[in-house]
Amino acid sequence: MLGAQVLGAQAPGAPTGRVTGTITTSAVGLAPMRVTIDPKVCGQQLPDHAIVVDGQGHLANAVVVLTGVKRQAAAEATITNDRCAFVPRVQIVRPNAAVKTTSKDPVLHTTSAQTANGRTLFNVALPIAGLTVTKAVGGTGTVRVSCNTHPWMRAWLVVTDEAAAISGADGRFAIDGVPPGSYDLRIWHESLTSAPQKVTVTAGKATEVSVRMK
Amino acid sequence: MAIPPLRYAAWRRLWTDEWSFPVDERLPHPAGTAPDSGDSRGKCCIVFGVTSLLLAAVLAIGEIATGQARATETGPTTIPEMWGAWCARCHAEDGTGQVSEPTITGVPMDFTDCAVTTREPDADWERAIAKGGSGVGLSPEMPGFEDSLTPAQIAGFVPHLRAFCRDTGWPSGNLNFPRPIITEKAFPEDEFLLLPAISHESEPASASATNVGLIAAYERRFGRRAMYEVSIPFYNWDFLTSRDSEIGDIAVALKYVAYASATTPRIVSFGLEATLPTGRLYKGFGKGTVVFEPYIAAGTMLRSWYVQGHGKVELPVDPLVDRAYLYNLYVGRDSSSAPDAWTLGVELNGENKQLWITPQIRKGLTATGALAASLGVSIPVKYQREKVVSWVGYLLWEFLEPLRARK
Ligand code: HEC
Repeated sequence: MLGAQVLGAQAPGAPTGRVTGTITTSAVGLAPMRVTIDPKVCGQQLPDHAIVVDGQGHLANAVVVLTGVKRQAAAEATITNDRCAFVPRVQIVRPNAAVKTTSKDPVLHTTSAQTANGRTLFNVALPIAGLTVTKAVGGTGTVRVSCNTHPWMRAWLVVTDEAAAISGADGRFAIDGVPPGSYDLRIWHESLTSAPQKVTVTAGKATEVSVRMK
Repeated sequence: MAIPPLRYAAWRRLWTDEWSFPVDERLPHPAGTAPDSGDSRGKCCIVFGVTSLLLAAVLAIGEIATGQARATETGPTTIPEMWGAWCARCHAEDGTGQVSEPTITGVPMDFTDCAVTTREPDADWERAIAKGGSGVGLSPEMPGFEDSLTPAQIAGFVPHLRAFCRDTGWPSGNLNFPRPIITEKAFPEDEFLLLPAISHESEPASASATNVGLIAAYERRFGRRAMYEVSIPFYNWDFLTSRDSEIGDIAVALKYVAYASATTPRIVSFGLEATLPTGRLYKGFGKGTVVFEPYIAAGTMLRSWYVQGHGKVELPVDPLVDRAYLYNLYVGRDSSSAPDAWTLGVELNGENKQLWITPQIRKGLTATGALAASLGVSIPVKYQREKVVSWVGYLLWEFLEPLRARK
């Protein structure tokens, strides 16, 4: 999937490189949350996915963005309200993407999207299972998605017009089709931070990075 | 209560054990179940019910196949059930907004507090439910339901909300029409008002003069249907040799809503105003006597047009001062249902044998509409001496409404 992505100003067929890496952390996973609201649907306790890390410290759900490499991310994202959690938790979309929110739960959820400075983009009610509502997110930035009836629910949309990837359960990420050059790699995580890194990409090669988040 | 038409096929899934709910013809019918015209409701519902069961079974199998099997509850079908299942989470079953486990930071209005709720028009509530709090300048924590409920369902919540106020006798907010500039409105208000007027006389040319007036008024409701008002006029007049700034005759007034019908909608109020001789008589800033001014004010809607009327008699205590008869008629309409909509209107203003026409435009200045301004021009149609055109307007502040959304 990554190999087929559209390039920026690069002439078609010009040689490119790739950036790969692993994201780790010393932070540990969080204890499950006790649930007292709608336990029949949500269950008595839920995992807290604010930090998803495996035994080796591999961190999932971190987003890396290669500054200056223009790329069209997904024009559409679907957020599913499933057992009182948003699935998936983190997605990358392009500016003005259509966000579809849908519910599998027979309780009222709301999908409330806020920009980093707290402005509400939309807040829609999903009173029953099976509904899908589509709304647009605006310009670039990180959009926080929450539910006003289940305050622990969280999802994030990284809205960007630059090449970006999300780390998997093993902490790995990859960005293909990068024109040779030097770039800043920005790393975002909902609860952890790390400074940007310089990466130099050479044609036909993979540049391996390792990022540690605190 | 009957179920209003439903928009989404997804609703049906929750109702597989409902065999007799009214089927709306506009519903998208599952494949192969388009209702025969002229079919009896019972038959159509059985066909519908069976198909729904089949559909549910298919869905259930699908869910089991993907490992997603789940106990499906029956969804709420009536407005009180929907209130309990969805709205009560934040508004509480009893409408007070006091819930044991709040999931939001704001506390919604107490729907049992008649003094607060009765002044809200139905349209604002419908808009809040459809668009969410941000659609009416309130907290965005109130979600929008326009994508999940039909307009009829949304409107169906309003009587349920109204019923939380147990006390009758409060005039409905549906009768709170936009204030005209000159016509007295019938609905009682809690407002601060500034009413400026500027006129320019250019006849004779040698004596051209610009006069400015400003009335500051405070209006406060009391009881269910009453209101008092205090207003102080200030003048700045051109006397050719000097410009004088003075206070005019201070007025106090009482207003009482005698008749109010929310559904028609129609409202009639009576008032009594008394102006006190605080303005200087000899320069024309005051009448030099106490004047009693009984009035009647009424309002209604004809389709989407506001129609408001007002008649009053000025009865000076001093028999040498002339009586005056005033009458005003206003017609206007809104550009949209938003609290910050534009309202276009026109007034006819009569005093004894004189008549003015006052076209005007009004705009809510904040998302909640708590601040509003109006601007108009009074053009004489029938006049006694010179033809003087005046710019008139107001700036009002409904001081009990929040100015902006609580975040
Ligand atoms: C997630 C919580 C939440 C849910 C669910 C919710 N509301 Fe609200 N609602 C609020 C909040 C908070 C406000 C107050 C906003 C303010 O005053 O700034 C509000 C305001 C309102 C208002 C406007 C009242 C006013 O101040 O003029 C109406 C009407 C209303 N809600 C009706 C409903 C109905 C009907 C439902 C169910 C279909 C519902 N609400 C569900 C939180 C909620």
